[in-house]
Amino acid sequence: MEFIFEGILQAFVLLWGADAETLSAVTATVKVSSASMAVSLVLGLPLGFWLGYHRFPGKRAVRTLVDTLLSLPTVLVGLIVYALISQRGPLGPMGLLFTLPGIAVGQAILALPVVVALTATAVESMDRQLSVTLRSLGADRRQLLLSTLWEARFGILAAAVTAYGRVMTEVGISMMVGGNIKWHTRTMTTAIALETNKGMFAMGVALGLVLLAIAFAVNISVSFLRRHAR
Amino acid sequence: MSRRFPILGFAAVFALVLLAVAGSAHAQQTLMMATTTSTDDTGLLDYLVPEFTRDSGIELKWTATGTGKALKLGENCDVDVLLVHAPPAEQKFVADGFGINRRQVMYNDFVIIGPAADPAAIKGKSVREALSAVREKQSIFTSRGDKSGTHQQEMALWRDTGGPIPEKEPWYVQTGQGMLNTINVAAERNGYTMTDRGTYIKYEANHQGNPPLKILVEGDQILLNQYSVITVNPTRCANAKVDLADTFAQWMAGERGQKLIGDFKLLDKQLFTPNAQ
Amino acid sequence: MNPTGAPLFHLEAVEHHYAGRRVLAVAHLRIAPGTIVGLMGPNGSGKSTLLRLLGFLETPSRGRILFKGRPAAPFDPRIRGKVTLLPQDPYLMNRSVADNVAYGLKLRGGREKTEPRVQEALAAVGLAPERFARRPWYALSGGEAQRVALAARLVLEPQVLLMDEPTASVDAESAERIRQAALTARARWGTTLIVASHDWSWLFEVCDEVWHLFAGEVFPTGTRTFFPGPWEPGPEGRWRRRLADGQHLAALPGKNPAAAAVIDSRNLMLSRTPVPEAGLTILAGTVLRLALIRRSAKVVATLAVGELTLTAILDPEALKAQTLIPGDPIHVAYRAEDLRWVDSPGAD
Repeated sequence: MEFIFEGILQAFVLLWGADAETLSAVTATVKVSSASMAVSLVLGLPLGFWLGYHRFPGKRAVRTLVDTLLSLPTVLVGLIVYALISQRGPLGPMGLLFTLPGIAVGQAILALPVVVALTATAVESMDRQLSVTLRSLGADRRQLLLSTLWEARFGILAAAVTAYGRVMTEVGISMMVGGNIKWHTRTMTTAIALETNKGMFAMGVALGLVLLAIAFAVNISVSFLRRHAR
Repeated sequence: MSRRFPILGFAAVFALVLLAVAGSAHAQQTLMMATTTSTDDTGLLDYLVPEFTRDSGIELKWTATGTGKALKLGENCDVDVLLVHAPPAEQKFVADGFGINRRQVMYNDFVIIGPAADPAAIKGKSVREALSAVREKQSIFTSRGDKSGTHQQEMALWRDTGGPIPEKEPWYVQTGQGMLNTINVAAERNGYTMTDRGTYIKYEANHQGNPPLKILVEGDQILLNQYSVITVNPTRCANAKVDLADTFAQWMAGERGQKLIGDFKLLDKQLFTPNAQ
Repeated sequence: MNPTGAPLFHLEAVEHHYAGRRVLAVAHLRIAPGTIVGLMGPNGSGKSTLLRLLGFLETPSRGRILFKGRPAAPFDPRIRGKVTLLPQDPYLMNRSVADNVAYGLKLRGGREKTEPRVQEALAAVGLAPERFARRPWYALSGGEAQRVALAARLVLEPQVLLMDEPTASVDAESAERIRQAALTARARWGTTLIVASHDWSWLFEVCDEVWHLFAGEVFPTGTRTFFPGPWEPGPEGRWRRRLADGQHLAALPGKNPAAAAVIDSRNLMLSRTPVPEAGLTILAGTVLRLALIRRSAKVVATLAVGELTLTAILDPEALKAQTLIPGDPIHVAYRAEDLRWVDSPGAD
């Protein structure tokens, strides 16, 4: 039990002293989760809009599929991405294994269903007259997409925050694809796993708290955005 | 940027981040190694690798994982060199043509630990006798159960007793976790387990030198844990950096590497014994 | 404005279906530029569907709609921002009133300053810009919201303004402001107005033409009265329809007893006392309302007969001779031969 309190203390030491190893893991985490979020948003927002806006045969089935993918196990994603980018896999020559972009690819796959499903729900829940209004006022297809997403911005922000949380705290993909290489692909979560394996429970707690602090910072900026996006 | 296009602005920012991430993957003389958790967890690599880089100018990156996965990474040409400790699996790996130049570099040893009260009375016995006693008394025994080098070693010990390898027996607990967690489970259940000495030393230190589980069986020849360096087969893996891998293997087996290994101490105790031929 | 001389809208054999059900069928229809067209008809008769098709928000299931002589489709640059629909429950975007009004202008991306035009549009619907421009979308009454939505369309100086029940759920002041603003648009830019409404002040005081919609069918130019089914066999080989008050409608036998029969309102004859005559069906009712049709200088009378509401067209002279006023008992006579069967699309 005492390692919890020790960990809290150690978290302050790490943050205060800007510990180089911790800093490297923080940087890796922020970089890789931002990149994966960028990819999943750029792909997921239009897909989510499409899924929420249009009516087409088989839409229910697609929704169910996307909702199922919300529970995609990170280890499965890690294995699939590994199979693709391994030297003997089809994308091997790109040299993505044991790199941050490699992890980002996996995390983007993890985040994509979250972004698509929640965006679709946000768009679906918009007033039916929204589309009539936007088009009546002269919106073309792209403007319709952007304005609808902007109208649904609070729902979409929630989607992004949820996806970011999933991406930042996952360990399966980072471990499998990134390899937990010190100074390179060691993220906060793989560092926590390592420290825990080493029996350094206090250090694990400390790093966990640092991760929580990053999440806190992200959410603070989101709520700032929210207030100013009115 | 107009308020009408917040998403575009968003995308632009993240595209920059993406470039930054991609740009950080710089290439130089880099050797990629897969190794087992024990070499990483004990701090041996943190101690050895900077010395190697200073001597050779080669950057060595390693991913620490179970022996099974390490060998799989080698088989898939995802790493250039392996530092592992599961001799039968290694021999098969080389025989199957996945690796070349298997070179023994060092060993540490395993110990069997258990509660001081020693309910199965195994203290001081040979491994064969000790495990047979555990089986007979149906005392709790925790196992990694993860096909790691340590787990394979443990299975070899059970095989050596002549009886079947325990699997579903109620007293046989397979944790599927790392060594330290497995020791902790054994301590919680007041049972026995087999561990490498390095992890036990850390465990001992975590409990200020007075842990609930004590070393009961040690020194038996069968408990020796041999580490080897293997280079992946360049005829299968065109991109493997065989030259760099050879440099590393020679350095490890050479005078300097061997001396550093022998000097490596954890809590004032030597963990690995160099034994390159 | 329209040098080719083609009508503004030209509907050819248009049909529209929702979930396999035909909701609108228009064999042929033209709308000349600058006209004010009123659409009347019961709920579910297809008014909103017709407006959405004319607004190119949907593509008809069959047939085609020509705009200025050429086919147009949703998102066509020819109609974007020029043909605009004001839906019955307008949606205001989650932003200020001024930003709502400026939205369409900004989409056009012109270099023009939007602010003066937004102010002008707000003033046109009777909302003082200095009081309303900065208000958020949620701080408006229903009537104000409707007027903001109209301003957002007027700011585009549209060629066609389609309005779906623009005054159905607003206060009297808002209704009048909306009417004035729409008429001003027509006066200033020649905007064609097409209005679905139950509001008599629209239909008979403002509109150049009133079309009657019933069960998805459009009956252009002229007012009609519909006798809905179910019909049953009656005396003298005719069909009859029993009304709630025990009177009977009579019709020549048709194909479908569930179908409705329609009669041109000019064929309804009114008299204070019944004048029996062979072949004439006479019904007793009450005068509900009288209104002047601006264009034709005739009077439209609404009558309650049983549970039905009938619409008759009268010459003002005839009206004077009879000195009818609302509330008076009245007799309505018609000839069964003047009825026409409407094949209700909902019935098949």
